[in-house]
Amino acid sequence: MINEKIKISTKNLNVFYGSKQALFDISINLVQNKVTALIGPSGCGKSTFIRCLNRMNDVIDICKVEGSIKIDGDEINKKDLDVNLIREKVGMVFQKPNPFPKSIYDNIAYGPRIHGLAENREDLDNIVEHSLKKAALWDEVKDRLTQPGTGLSGGQQQRLCIARTISINPDVILMDEPCSALDPIATAKIEELIDELKEIYTIVIVTHSMSQAARVSQDTGFFHLGKILEFNSTEKIFKNPDNKLTQDYITGRFG
Amino acid sequence: MTSKQKEIFLKKRYRAENRFKFFGIFSITLAVSFLGILLFNIFSSGLSAFFKTKILLKINFDEKKLGININTSEKEIKASNFNEILQEALLNLDLLTPELKKIELIDIVSVDATYELKRFYLKHKDQLNKMIEVSLTLSDDLDQLHKGNFPRDIPEDRRRFSDFQLKVFDEQNAQNKIITEFNFSFFTNADSRDPELAGIGSSLMGSLLTLLVCLILSFPIGILAAIYLEEFAPKNKITEIIEINVNNLAAVPSIVFGLLGLGIFLNYFYLPRSTPLVGGLVLALMTLPRIIIPCRAALKAVPPSIREGALALGASKVQTVMHNVVPLAMPGTLSGTIIGLSQALGETAPLILIGMVAFINVVPFYPIDPSAVLPVQVYLWSESAERGFVEKTSATIIILIFFLAFMNSFAIYLRNKFERKWS
Repeated sequence: MINEKIKISTKNLNVFYGSKQALFDISINLVQNKVTALIGPSGCGKSTFIRCLNRMNDVIDICKVEGSIKIDGDEINKKDLDVNLIREKVGMVFQKPNPFPKSIYDNIAYGPRIHGLAENREDLDNIVEHSLKKAALWDEVKDRLTQPGTGLSGGQQQRLCIARTISINPDVILMDEPCSALDPIATAKIEELIDELKEIYTIVIVTHSMSQAARVSQDTGFFHLGKILEFNSTEKIFKNPDNKLTQDYITGRFG
Repeated sequence: MTSKQKEIFLKKRYRAENRFKFFGIFSITLAVSFLGILLFNIFSSGLSAFFKTKILLKINFDEKKLGININTSEKEIKASNFNEILQEALLNLDLLTPELKKIELIDIVSVDATYELKRFYLKHKDQLNKMIEVSLTLSDDLDQLHKGNFPRDIPEDRRRFSDFQLKVFDEQNAQNKIITEFNFSFFTNADSRDPELAGIGSSLMGSLLTLLVCLILSFPIGILAAIYLEEFAPKNKITEIIEINVNNLAAVPSIVFGLLGLGIFLNYFYLPRSTPLVGGLVLALMTLPRIIIPCRAALKAVPPSIREGALALGASKVQTVMHNVVPLAMPGTLSGTIIGLSQALGETAPLILIGMVAFINVVPFYPIDPSAVLPVQVYLWSESAERGFVEKTSATIIILIFFLAFMNSFAIYLRNKFERKWS
């Protein structure tokens, strides 16, 4: 496929927690408007990897990231770069829904407010409505926007967090096991949502569920002990993986 | 294990559980009964201080004796002498008083009675040259007698009122001329050497002003220090040493802060002695660690996922902390602050060292006016010889307990209100 545009590319990415190395020479390309799933056993470095993409690892004092990460061809792994600008471009949804202890409206409006995206109240109202609609939550909450976001159900909270991420109109959305705390119905809703969102955004999703990776993603990377063992189209990985370990993992023989 | 063994084993376990329950209930009962005894003691001896005994006297506002007329200005009235008409009215209580006993008769009312008359007249100028019944405060000894705090059957030379005074009092009481009123002046008057006039006005205002100074200083400084230490400061040796010191300061005996205040604020900066300003400064030093510690604990209890959520949205560190973390930590911080302040309210020793133990007979209005505080007032009165101060001491403790209970329940209210809202 020739018209595929590479959104994020990493080269020789090494991550250390103190003296312990967590990622070894990760060099992969993530394609725009595709969903890339990262799979692998616990502790293999998937989450560490996606946290590099929006520099969330900066929060951890002992964490050191070496190597190159380019988004749209621009290097983001350098000291003098404003991380807030990267995070505006690369949104993130976490494993556990973490709505702010504010109203549903303010949860969504927070991002646009701190980045000055809305000029007036009307703009802000539009952004909130638009984001909630995109996250397929609008119909459920439109009558109670002033109620606390923490009062929603788990699945609704997670969609609220997705809406919050969308509200500042990022290019990339990182999802760190977004469905691991949700029941199957809520999971199905989120998967459906991911499928729609990839039209606009580039999505990277870390997941423990093989079936989820197979359902939602176009590309899949298999991580093992901090190394990427195989990175290919999802179809190839699930039908005919090159690596024996990948085969074993996706068929449930280990991990 | 056979079923027999199992049964014995279970019985043993039940016995242990019952024993534990018994000890728990026993301890609680013991603690509650001690508290009950304490409160009963204070209330039973203190409640009478909220009332005062007065005598109804027929007073003749004779313009010749007063040396005033209907046109006399307020200033001149204040300067004129009401003693003569008061003494005349008192001597009229018993026309057969022997010359030597007259002074005793005059002494049955408080030294304030002549001023009470003056105040009464200023409100009722139309009573000039008329005879009217006015209620006047009795002397503290007869007040205590009337309240039953002083036994009447002990020999005359061992009590502070004479048989003659007792006789006059009983006569007046039989004619229903002795009345009991709510003691408003207890709240408005400053301290006095005369128990019937002494009030907590000065110490109540002093406590409020001191707490105000303490709050204004310690709350913002404490919160900013806590936020910086918890959220921004790099984790290294220096911050570790600061942390240990803050924890140590919270445990330093309060009198040490008093010495510090004496040495620095009074002897070095020459700030005015005995004032709420210095008291507030000293108490602020003492309260600071007591605000920093709960505030840090409250910040630490905010789930990291909230911080990550805000950071991932591109909020800066300061935005994340101020918009999302601090509001969540506020209830815990506020209740910690209020509890720190209520400790400051009850603090005595450091304030004695900076001179707030002085006898203050005016009600302070500014933080640089000399004043007393409630707990020091308790200390001062508990040392006084007059029996009238016993009930005042207990009454002041009641007021102090009331304020402490109020503040602590406000802290609990805040905590519950905000917790319910956001979880």
